[in-house]
Amino acid sequence: MYMVTLQGTQEQFECKKGEPILRAGLRAGFGLPYECSVGGCGTCKFDVLEGQVEMLWPEAPGLSDRDKRKGRMLACQAVPLEDCIIKMRLDKECIPPVLPVNRSVGLIERYKITHDIEAFRFKSEGPAIFKAGQYALLTSPKIEGARAYSMSNLSNDEGIWEFQIRNVPEGLMTRHLFDQINIGDKLELDGPYGVAFFKNTGRDVVCVAGGSGLAPMVSIAKAFSEDPACKEHTLHFLYGARTPSDVCGEDMLQELAGFGDRIFYHAIVSNPETLTQDEWDGPVGLVHTHIYDVLDGNLQEYEYYFAGPPKMATAIDTLLLEKYDVASSQLHYDRFF
Amino acid sequence: MTLVDLVEVCTLSEVPDGEGIKITIEGLPALAVYRVGEEVFVSDDLCTHGDASLSEGELDIEDYVIECPFHQGGFDIRTGSVAGAPCTRPIRVYEAWIKNGLVYIKKQDL
Repeated sequence: MYMVTLQGTQEQFECKKGEPILRAGLRAGFGLPYECSVGGCGTCKFDVLEGQVEMLWPEAPGLSDRDKRKGRMLACQAVPLEDCIIKMRLDKECIPPVLPVNRSVGLIERYKITHDIEAFRFKSEGPAIFKAGQYALLTSPKIEGARAYSMSNLSNDEGIWEFQIRNVPEGLMTRHLFDQINIGDKLELDGPYGVAFFKNTGRDVVCVAGGSGLAPMVSIAKAFSEDPACKEHTLHFLYGARTPSDVCGEDMLQELAGFGDRIFYHAIVSNPETLTQDEWDGPVGLVHTHIYDVLDGNLQEYEYYFAGPPKMATAIDTLLLEKYDVASSQLHYDRFF
Repeated sequence: MTLVDLVEVCTLSEVPDGEGIKITIEGLPALAVYRVGEEVFVSDDLCTHGDASLSEGELDIEDYVIECPFHQGGFDIRTGSVAGAPCTRPIRVYEAWIKNGLVYIKKQDL
């Protein structure tokens, strides 16, 4: 166990041997700035002032060459080798609403959602406590590093953690989940993490999902449906699919109280060249280009949540901030890039 | 370019070499003015990623990069392009002119 001290405040937290500084800090309840927690976004950069610290993944894309030259590290990849003092500016927005805990979970069920997305349900000993839209880090002793997956269900006492995972040929963890693990097999689940979780702000809500960004948006729609304070508000759910066979999520929303009345689903297909009208007669194009058409009135009046491929997230971000002048505090997403 | 087309921002001497300062002009977004030797550069002061003032960041004079003090993201002060994560959207930059020891930006850029 090593002691990590934050320069300036002199606040301290303990870090287990081999544990990334980010996770140890969040577990202790400190608002260490972060988004992806897997080396991609670059939000958790810090300077080491004293003590030896090692990067688990030195080539992580979140660090620029300039950062490396200056000896900077990413807290999500940095493990102390002795007591250390670091310089990092805390962010109260990142104080965890639920302290993340590492636990063992067992696979209890899996089923197909589309031709390449499957639901995986795991069960933990204790309750599964998290905010809608958050994610957990899954690790297996057979695979190096952790992978982040968002929960598609809601907090529950039964200890159920449900994920919707896209079967991509190149993903090591994906291959492990799809090809190697069986019902009853165990994995390590650390969480919850993520800052783009649902908060009722008294505004109408927009959820935009693409690909396997479906899970956290479904979780947010469920939380919205169950929240009595949201009864007078609407939620528009946009799903961007490549082809008609990738369209999904509507059946999950149909089960929710308020569907068709205050919860609305819109699927948009991005690859119309290959389509005939029989295959798809709904809207086509990139999902962000349909946000304006779907919403009523002033786009500045909504709270936006989105999850999906980096290009989609950047396009939505740029559109809403620059074209429609929406306040950045009303946009919520965790960048996995 | 005549003075009519320009807006006075500050004096060159008030910008320390190798640093940035924040300038507030009524009716305009807050500006950050940077100096590298005898060259000046002007951008919006508010980072495009978080709620941070770029003029309080560290200026890397060798690469003309301003680092945001919040998450150490970076922007090229010559072009506004992103020079480091977590920033993803470029910062707005203004063409800057020095005349008689005063720093100006073009009105048409505003």
